Amino acid sequence: MAPVLDLHDIQGNIIKAYPRFGFCCSRNFFFRVSDGDAGRAFLSALIPTVTTAAPWVSGGAAVVDSKRPKITTNVAFTFEGLKRLGVPQASLQTFPEEFAMGMTARRDILGDDGPSAPTSWDPIWRSADPVHIFISINASNQAALEQRYQEILALSPKSGLNLLSGHRTASGVELPYQDSSAIFDNGEATSREHFGYTDGVSNPYFKGAGTDSSNVIGGGKATGKDARTAAGWAPLETGEFLLGHKDEAFEYPEAPIPNLLGDNGTYLVYRKLHQNVGSFDAYLARVGAEFPGGSEALAAKFAGRWRNGAPLTSFPTEQKANEFSARWASAKLAIGQAKTQAEREAAKRRFSALNTEFVAFDYTDDIEGTRCPVSAHARRSNPRSALEFGNKGAFAGPSSLSDRRRILRRGLPYGDSQSERKDDGEHGIIFMALCASIRRQFEFVQQQWLNYGNDFRLGNDKDPLLGNQELDEQGNADGRMVIESDPSSPTPPFFCAKLPRFVETRGGDYFFVPSLTALRMIAHGIVDPT
Amino acid sequence: MANENGNAYALTTLCPLLEVSGEDTSPAALIRDRLHRVNTGASSPMAKVPNVYFCRFLILDDVIYESKPHRLEHLQSQYLVFEASLHGQLAPYLQGMWEQAQPFVRSMWQFCVGFSEVNDAASFTAYIQKCQVETTFFFNGSTDEPLAEQLKSLYLKQEFSKFAYAHQGWSGKDLQVAFEDFIARVEPANLARPTWRAGATDLKGVVIP
Repeated sequence: MAPVLDLHDIQGNIIKAYPRFGFCCSRNFFFRVSDGDAGRAFLSALIPTVTTAAPWVSGGAAVVDSKRPKITTNVAFTFEGLKRLGVPQASLQTFPEEFAMGMTARRDILGDDGPSAPTSWDPIWRSADPVHIFISINASNQAALEQRYQEILALSPKSGLNLLSGHRTASGVELPYQDSSAIFDNGEATSREHFGYTDGVSNPYFKGAGTDSSNVIGGGKATGKDARTAAGWAPLETGEFLLGHKDEAFEYPEAPIPNLLGDNGTYLVYRKLHQNVGSFDAYLARVGAEFPGGSEALAAKFAGRWRNGAPLTSFPTEQKANEFSARWASAKLAIGQAKTQAEREAAKRRFSALNTEFVAFDYTDDIEGTRCPVSAHARRSNPRSALEFGNKGAFAGPSSLSDRRRILRRGLPYGDSQSERKDDGEHGIIFMALCASIRRQFEFVQQQWLNYGNDFRLGNDKDPLLGNQELDEQGNADGRMVIESDPSSPTPPFFCAKLPRFVETRGGDYFFVPSLTALRMIAHGIVDPT
Repeated sequence: MANENGNAYALTTLCPLLEVSGEDTSPAALIRDRLHRVNTGASSPMAKVPNVYFCRFLILDDVIYESKPHRLEHLQSQYLVFEASLHGQLAPYLQGMWEQAQPFVRSMWQFCVGFSEVNDAASFTAYIQKCQVETTFFFNGSTDEPLAEQLKSLYLKQEFSKFAYAHQGWSGKDLQVAFEDFIARVEPANLARPTWRAGATDLKGVVIP
């Protein structure tokens, strides 16, 4: 039986990917607390603005989203932040080690070396004093964002709390905030990132989230039935993403004491990831010239999806992917052109069915990686049932080896790469991951699946897009990827040699996202572990 | 027999420690200190011993008390535990160990009961066999080929993958010429070189040219 979640007690960014609701601009800013009382007073004033996961739509069939705010606000804390805000030592000691250590101290596990080393991060992340409070706001436009930002700054006391500067920008000026935004195309927000891929297509679906139940397709765990249908999927346990609820191991996740501090909260990983778009374009052009299908097909093989988002497993050729994309665009258009309510509902259903095709697949019929390479980014980061390697029944469920490694991905691009395609400058993704265990979920995926290949029988090969590719003895890029061919065809596999590091870390940290209850307890200084 | 799995052999020995070292420190503490300082990886003294896949030394102080209702028990002495998985038979392996790592062997077993009688490969072999216990649940984590064969095959595998990456798309004729050059360079039948260094734990400097 699915739990009934108190969505009013859960912060909204855990349940909703805001950009999907039109909130495609974001501002992230961070505070350091030097006086606990001042920090708590600020939190008390901030709480009424915090966006919860309560549904925005009401009214049944005649859907009205009257409760949709113009802007969202969410808050999270580092371990040092909780300490500075007066959370008692006996509670602090019950938080997981990786959260207490913070991202910089976990750099070896994360593979943040060479150009990704903390010494190259934005100044805010290099300070000896860590950040304490993280506030993220999302809106549909810059003006709304700026207004809320000023409102929040006005809440902050004159002393005892400092807004931290040190976010690099393209102009060289360091700002006290990090903006991110969807990339716009002819005035319309797209879901593309700087390499041109449609991003954020697939996210986990868990029990009690209250979102559209059709999202279970591709978002849940595999049942062994047809992955193209809802029967092929079941929701993940809530405890994979929210503390205080049963997880996939039939346990409550590791959580702080008292229970009220952890319940309905979770952890958030914030990472500023720079994208070397110049190197990426150059590699695609050079190696794509040799690759059967050309550079666009090579880009698809890297990601496991065509740049329009169509999964290689379901759409193995560029032509099929483009036809699908055209059908999708015209279905989207039809919703706006519908003349009657009935027409509009029918158009929405057609569009929704097409959306499902982005995620309704697994690798059961592609164990060899003939369509989607075994090393492709999407397959590495969410292997679905691929780790069975076709050995059906090997585990409790077809996707058991990945069900405990899922993360909710949030985030938006920052900077501009359209005017000039080069590595230097400020452009990338503000990546955020939400999960109940940073160590078991985010760090495992990063360490074992993106920066290593053994689980996929790929030796030392790393993720082609996000892997921290190494240099050879002459200092040249030395990443590798095998693009499998059909074993029954005479075509040999294709080897991508000398892959450079396309993505580099520029900063970040680990945060705790408390429930509204816990937030009030922290703000009032009444967290009691006894 | 549980000590053997194909051509792989699993050795387990427990050698009792003397009660006193004659110095101001116990034998167990002295040997622990030596173990903590021993070189690891390719410069480990055991890397010179032929056909050792893996080995481990430890000091067994006592058995663990598992709380009520279990009985509290004690060993009559502390033990130096030496475990190794190796290729082939035990006697030639121990002979190789004596010949290639004698100073290290002496430093490890110096304070073991009866080791003062050991003065050559034959007496070392007899001594170890006397202290041997049967290995149970032996799992061999690699093939059971001789170590030199395994190191050479790892070397060849890696070099061949580099070759495949470097020659993608070459014409059949050019590829054949390049492959012949490759074979001449890597000398598949020559186990001595080029190959991988025994004991290496890092790819840097692993190749013996």
